[in-house]
Parts: sequence; structure tokens; C-alpha cells
Amino acid sequence: MTLEFAVRLAEIILGFAILQQSLEFVRGFQPEKTLGLIRALLAILLILGAQPLLVETALIITSVILITRFHGPYNGGSDTMTVLVLGGLWLSHLAPSRYWQEIALGYLAIQLMLSYFQSGWVKVVNADWRSGVALRQVFAFTVYPVSNQVRLLADRPRLLLYMSWVVIIFELLFPLALLHQTALIVALFIAGLFHLANALLFGLNRFFWIWPAAYPIIIWFQTRLMDVF
Amino acid sequence: MFKLFRLILPILFPSWRFFSWIGPSPRVEVGFVTDANASPTDWLSIFPQPEKLSFASSLVRLLHNPQWNERLYINTCAEHLFESHSEFHEQQIAQRLLSAVKSGEIIAPEAAQYLIFRIRTLVSEHEKLTENFVFISRSFSLLPYGVKK
Repeated sequence: MTLEFAVRLAEIILGFAILQQSLEFVRGFQPEKTLGLIRALLAILLILGAQPLLVETALIITSVILITRFHGPYNGGSDTMTVLVLGGLWLSHLAPSRYWQEIALGYLAIQLMLSYFQSGWVKVVNADWRSGVALRQVFAFTVYPVSNQVRLLADRPRLLLYMSWVVIIFELLFPLALLHQTALIVALFIAGLFHLANALLFGLNRFFWIWPAAYPIIIWFQTRLMDVF
Repeated sequence: MFKLFRLILPILFPSWRFFSWIGPSPRVEVGFVTDANASPTDWLSIFPQPEKLSFASSLVRLLHNPQWNERLYINTCAEHLFESHSEFHEQQIAQRLLSAVKSGEIIAPEAAQYLIFRIRTLVSEHEKLTENFVFISRSFSLLPYGVKK
């Protein structure tokens, strides 16, 4: 995948993700209601590919306003990933040379890889995760399960033990997928299913839309790595 | 400017420690009083969970789920509040509760003039679930928000 095509594809997916987030704000309070409307319009322009540098500059400014407004991210990791993807793409347009373009997008690809690997690492070093207890606690008493029916999964410790290890192993092995493009595409497909499960079980819908925005960049990054080594 | 950097830097150089450990989980409960200095006798759990979700409803929520994300934001604010008091996060929760009263999502008694909320935490210790009350807010008048006329 060429750098230009990866950037364009990432911008289209990012546009959809920001549109989705912004329409949720439109039902909220001021000033995020107005900011939501502005960002929804900017997201449509981003999808259409109109003036990407200007549109992304405006999106970064509104992101900073939102971060200041909420004294940090509103929706945790999904806002963090939105800013990282936006920042990486914006810098790739602003970069004075191909070298700096690659640095900006490479940083985004590494952050995506770390978002899986580090999550796996903090789980595998925790005895409660290794025994399945932590995931049982997530279902039993955190605010995340979307219904009482989903909460009942806390009563299935064996299933949760398997689920814990599937997640830990997948997250820890994710960097190895960079060794081969087919492996990477399979890993990204599994990662998409993982985000879908998180959205359906825990209501983390914004994560499901924003993480794939970085996928074209890591596919380009993998190709670039293979060129170098 | 320093404050802005403090907010932005963890986003530009993030730590991806999702669910690294399962800490105390906050629950926000709301009470109503007629006098600003009174204490509520009854506390209501807010935003009860549905028994189950249909497949169609799950798909809609995948695309658009502002209420759930507001609930997660209230949870974030509650976590900040039991770590250390913050007028901002107290206001953020109160604003959303008052809005829920106004929309009829939370039903206030007829005579109620003020809203108070409290935070209890659930935590698992040696496989046993224990709860603690960690925060009680000041009273918020229902009048300026148009909840009461």
C-alpha cells in the first residue's frame, strides 16, 4: 500500500469515526453541542478529501477545545486514538519531506501496535488476569456490561478464563504480525472483531470506529519495514 | 498554558493500560430534599441497566449511543471525585443529573427543591464484594435548570 493511498483511506475512516462521535455530542450540552455540529461538517469534508490540511487543522483545534472543556479526554482511549490519528495525518500533510512524513505516520503505526501489546503486557503480569478473576470482576461489578444478561457472564468462570487468555495472547502476539502482510491483515481483522465484541458487551462503540482509522497506516508501515529489512 | 500541556501530553504519548487492574467501581445515586441543608432519606440508583438488549438495539447502539457514553463520562467524573475533590467534576455530574430530572429520566418527588448525589464504590476484596460511600455532593437547586417552575 502506498503512503498516499494509506493516508487517504485513513482519512475516510477517521472522517466516519469523527462524524459518529460528533453526532452523539449534538444531543448533549453546550458548547460540545455546537462543536459537535462543526466537527460533523468537518468530518464530511474529510471524507470527501476537500482541503485535508485545513480541515485537519480545524479538527485539531476543536479537539483541543474539547479536551480543555472536559479537563481531559471525554471518552478515554477513543479520544486519545482520535487525536493520534488526526495528528499523524495532519503532520503527514505538513511535513517538509518524505522522510518526516514517514516519521509522523510511523509514530502512529507504533502507537497502534503498542495499544495492543501494552494492553496485553499489563494483563499478563497481573495474576488476576492470568486466572480469569479480573475479567470476571469486569462483568460482575464494573459499570461496563450493557445489560443484566451480559453481566450474568460473570457466573461462567471457565469461559472467562479462556476469554482472558485469548485476549492476552492476541494482544501480546500482535507485533509479530508486522513480519508478514497476510498475518497483519488477519490480525487486524481479529482486532476489529475484538473491538466489535467490546462495543456489544461493554458499550465501547467509539473504540470500534476509531481504531480501524489507523489500520491503513500500519499496513503501509509494514510494507515500508519490509523494504528496509 | 502549562495546564493545557498537562492535558495534551498524555494524549500524544499515551499509556495503553486498558483494564490493567480492576479498581473500585463507582455508582452514583441521587436524592432529593426540600431544604438545602437537609439530607435525603431515600437514594435512587441512576440509569438502571436493561434486562437484555435485542440484536437490532445493539446495532443501533454501535452507531449511536450518546446516553451510554454520557454514563461512562459520569463514571470518569465519579472516579476523579473519589480520588480527590474537584468542583468541576462535581458540577459535571450534577449538570447531567439535573438534565435527567428535567427530561423525566429521573423522577423527582413533587415537593423536591434540591438534588444531592452520592458516590458509593464497589470493590472486590478476596473474591468478596464490598461497598463504601466515598462522596456526597452539595445540594443543587432544581430551580435554575427549569426543573422546577
